[in-house]
Amino acid sequence: MTALIERLERNRWIWSALGVLLLWAVLSVTTGRFSLHSLSGVAVSASFLTLVALGQMLVVTTGRGNIDLSIASVLTLSAYASIVVAAGSDARLPLALAAVLGIGLVTGLANALLVVVLRIPAIIATLATGYILATATLIANRWAAGFSMSPFLKTLAAGRVEGVPLMLVIALVAVALAGLLLGRTVYGRRLSAVGQNERAAALAGIRTGRVVTGAFLASALLAALTGMLLGAYVGGAFLEMGQPYLLQSLGAVVLGGSLIFGGSSTALGTLCGSFLLILIVTTMQIAGLPAGTQDIVQGIVVIAVLALAGGRAVRRRRAAPKTEAVAP
Amino acid sequence: MMTAAFSAAQDAPARAAGASAPPRHTSPAAGPHAFGAAGGDAPVVRLSGISKAFGPTRANDAVDLVVGAGEVLGLVGGNGAGKSTLMRILCGVTRADAGSITLRGIDIATDLYDTALAQAGGIRIVHQELSLCDNLSVAENFFLEAPEAARALPGWRRIFRARARAALDEVFPDHGISVDARVAHLQIGQRQMVEIARAVATPQVRLVILDEPTSSLGLERSRQLRAYIKARTAQGLAFIFISHKLQEVVDIAHRVLVLRNGRSVWCGPAVEASVEALVRAMGGASESEMRSRRAGRPVIGAEAPEQVRLSGPLVAALGRDVVLRAGEVVGLAGLEGSGQRDLLHRLHRRPGAGIVRKGNASFVSGDRQKEGVFPLWSVLSNIALGRLEGRAPLGLVQEARERDAARGAAEKLKLDPARFDSPILDLSGGNQQKALVARALVGEADTILFDDPTRGVDVGAKEDFYALIGTVARAGRLVIWHSTEDIEFLECDRVLVFAGGRIVRELVGAEITEQAIVDASFAGSGTSERDATAGARGLADRLVDLAPFASLAAVFALMAWVNPLTVSLFGLELLLGPALALVLVALAQMFVVGGSEIDLGVGAFAGLVNVLSATLLLDTPWLGALALVACVLAYGLIGATIQLRRIPAIVVTLGASFIWIGIGYTLQPTPGGASPEWLSAGFAWTLFDVPASLVLIGVAALVALAIDRSPLGVVLRGFGNNAPAMTLGGWSPLRYAVLRYMLASLFALAAGLSLTAINTASDINAGGPFTLISVAAVVMGGCALIGGLVSPLGVVAGALTLALVGALLGALGVSTDYNAAVQGCLLLSMLALRAFADRREARR
Repeated sequence: MTALIERLERNRWIWSALGVLLLWAVLSVTTGRFSLHSLSGVAVSASFLTLVALGQMLVVTTGRGNIDLSIASVLTLSAYASIVVAAGSDARLPLALAAVLGIGLVTGLANALLVVVLRIPAIIATLATGYILATATLIANRWAAGFSMSPFLKTLAAGRVEGVPLMLVIALVAVALAGLLLGRTVYGRRLSAVGQNERAAALAGIRTGRVVTGAFLASALLAALTGMLLGAYVGGAFLEMGQPYLLQSLGAVVLGGSLIFGGSSTALGTLCGSFLLILIVTTMQIAGLPAGTQDIVQGIVVIAVLALAGGRAVRRRRAAPKTEAVAP
Repeated sequence: MMTAAFSAAQDAPARAAGASAPPRHTSPAAGPHAFGAAGGDAPVVRLSGISKAFGPTRANDAVDLVVGAGEVLGLVGGNGAGKSTLMRILCGVTRADAGSITLRGIDIATDLYDTALAQAGGIRIVHQELSLCDNLSVAENFFLEAPEAARALPGWRRIFRARARAALDEVFPDHGISVDARVAHLQIGQRQMVEIARAVATPQVRLVILDEPTSSLGLERSRQLRAYIKARTAQGLAFIFISHKLQEVVDIAHRVLVLRNGRSVWCGPAVEASVEALVRAMGGASESEMRSRRAGRPVIGAEAPEQVRLSGPLVAALGRDVVLRAGEVVGLAGLEGSGQRDLLHRLHRRPGAGIVRKGNASFVSGDRQKEGVFPLWSVLSNIALGRLEGRAPLGLVQEARERDAARGAAEKLKLDPARFDSPILDLSGGNQQKALVARALVGEADTILFDDPTRGVDVGAKEDFYALIGTVARAGRLVIWHSTEDIEFLECDRVLVFAGGRIVRELVGAEITEQAIVDASFAGSGTSERDATAGARGLADRLVDLAPFASLAAVFALMAWVNPLTVSLFGLELLLGPALALVLVALAQMFVVGGSEIDLGVGAFAGLVNVLSATLLLDTPWLGALALVACVLAYGLIGATIQLRRIPAIVVTLGASFIWIGIGYTLQPTPGGASPEWLSAGFAWTLFDVPASLVLIGVAALVALAIDRSPLGVVLRGFGNNAPAMTLGGWSPLRYAVLRYMLASLFALAAGLSLTAINTASDINAGGPFTLISVAAVVMGGCALIGGLVSPLGVVAGALTLALVGALLGALGVSTDYNAAVQGCLLLSMLALRAFADRREARR
């Protein structure tokens, strides 16, 4: 029994996976027409979310309540940039890719500079960079005349192989890579160490600034690439397209079982969390709930999951011997 | 004489109660009222059979403790002996697993005993970790300790000012501390003095626990304290005096209780105790043992490679460079905070400026929770981290190899490899420390830096550590060891004694004695004992305070230059009237930021109130009013959730912002509605021709200022600065978290209402942009995002400045598209400027 609890404690993604299965089963039974096919629609939406959420997860892992709030603007701006630069031709795709990566790189570095060097709390720093990018988006919106896509990008974002959406494959590869990064590499270890105890990590010889910078870079780059693909998928860019990803990326990370205080994250959990969140949204849409109610439900889900998960971290800390902290 | 008493005590520890307390047995059921009936001459406090385990560690094991009125009980024991746990139990912070607690003859069940009861019983503790709120003044800190006399009226501080001055004068004559000075501006010794004075001055105090009170006091101040203790005991106040300086304990205490590995091993009159016997009872290695261990090590040749060279001002007092060689064990001694730690950190991080280090270095701290362990990891992962240094980020880690390397290190340390897979926190303090030392060993560094490594470690683990140190060093490493227990330096080949931030003496081999170290530490400490003229605020501080007002004036002047019409009542109303909502939201944000949290939902909340007041409140006033009350309560609930579940406020408030917006959309999918007449009228009057919106901005500022200056405001700021200390002092964190959020919601509510009245319509998105601007206004206004620093007038000035910037851009013909970017840039440059200013201050 205790072994089981311990296993659950270690593999926290199981809960979100169970949630996905349960909700899917309920939907299949109640609606009757919710099949594998409709699941693939969910899968594509969840794949976009997964990509963004993986970046958010890395930032959350750095601890101290760090969160990247600029991803929504990065995503939107990248979608505009790729459309404006590529102008519907494959030949200009490398240029568009460079522009998109440039946006990610600059934003990630700017965020890292503000957080690491100037010690500005991550949410404030990323909120502010997000605002600045939002202005850039407004300006891009004036330029973006046509909505023609590069055919290659379109295939990548919307294509299927044997009925399996390509986006899902991309997302699964990203999850596998992120899982490898977290669990098996030197960087993953350092990231976890920084997230658990930054001071101890610094004293253990870890260059914490570089580790945190890496996380912000990854987050911005992933959001930028997702913006490019999402633009190709929906066939254009619009001002509010990144907005839902702000809370949802965070929701997916938390639902997946990563600790909001950092130090311990699971890529597989983030995948399951993304699917769960998209399924919840889909369920609400099928049930015909108005958009306002959907917002309310999402907000409540995030707070409720946090409140439950927060307890887990507290219990862990309580179990710890406190004597040393106060011993003379 | 004590030797005999000691052996007898070991045979029957429960009976070694000593002269002034009657023999007793530990069964709590035996006679709960046996002493209670005595009333007047009952001991102040009696703990019997107290036990407490943390995981595998038995921190307290059937400990008895009695303190009578007018008595000084000396409490001694090595690091990790269980003194702190016992004192935390006595103060109601930690709950005992077993045993009984009797306060002034009244039995209290251990599971009901808490900080409030301990405070009511007149027990106060002076911590080693200082428990003052350093953002508050000395007088305000006195208020936090005994708030009963406070009234929410202007001038309420007077009584605490007087109390603080009287207490300081009484304990430390000629203290030179201003009671209006912010504690942050005091030196460490002065803070210790304030803390001691605060505890003994509490009305109704019966027992004061002094935990290492003299660790940062100079000789003269220590003498004053001892004199004061003698005087107060004559009046019946009891003390528990905890100190590493055993001679001090023997001098001042009436009775002494010795703890060792969580058990009480000796308790008797101080006249029967001697320093030597106490040391033996504590179970520490004796001087001769330590010395012989050092003598047993092979001699280091002069040709041993040079590892570290210290030069420049640090060693100016010695007049030559200090060279440390591979194979040596070098101690860093001196009074606490004399520069030993600083040198360790500089050696670790950034050599230079007189410090040269060859090869790489690892750091092992004795403050395991803060600077050592990674709590989510297993023992193995904690150790193996040491092997990662210098590796490429994308290199793969292999557990099998880690395990082999860790096993080698663990064997040297007598750490059982079978425990490699347990979570690190399941280990006792001693074993955790062994894991951290193992981390340094697997890293194969040339220099190992130890920062008080035996802190909170049991006697057995200490012995293992001492035995290991020599082996590690003689295998070709340089060991640099800072300790707070002077006796440990007898293990060292060489000791560098610090005073006032410099090395003042170098002791080698047989020269190293505790006396020599103490003499040398005080010899050069003349500079650090100077109490200095603390509390005076520099010109720079005042300029920083004025910055928000100066920038407001600058922007206003610019505006007047662009459009002279600005400088008329009409122009002012046009410009500043719409800023009322922003001012209110910013004040709401200010209270949240004061608790070192940030509210990402405050703008959306104002938007929701805007919608509610233009729809429900208009159509069905009672329902609307009810909904608004529910909103305020919901905000309190958010505060409670954040506090109880310890989750980041930003995520919760971000989630909440979606809820607010969702409710708003559901109520009113598109902008519309209308303002209730009475509400519009409430914002449409004039006072001496000054329009209501301008007057209300002033009123909002004054209300916020009054709240902030009131006792409530001081408590809220205290929580923002030092929440653990506030909790220890008996303040309920839950209650004040709820209060803080409800206070914020009231200001946000007013903001929403003003939006309705001024726009005469509602839009759920109306409040959204306020969130970021409110944070910007709070930062511009001079509040610190880390909490505790709040300045309402500055925040109002900041909010007005930001509102004017928007108008200025409009007047200059800049597209509103750029507003967001300008606001973002402004916020970032504010924070960047502040970061630079803080850094400059820190360097000073």
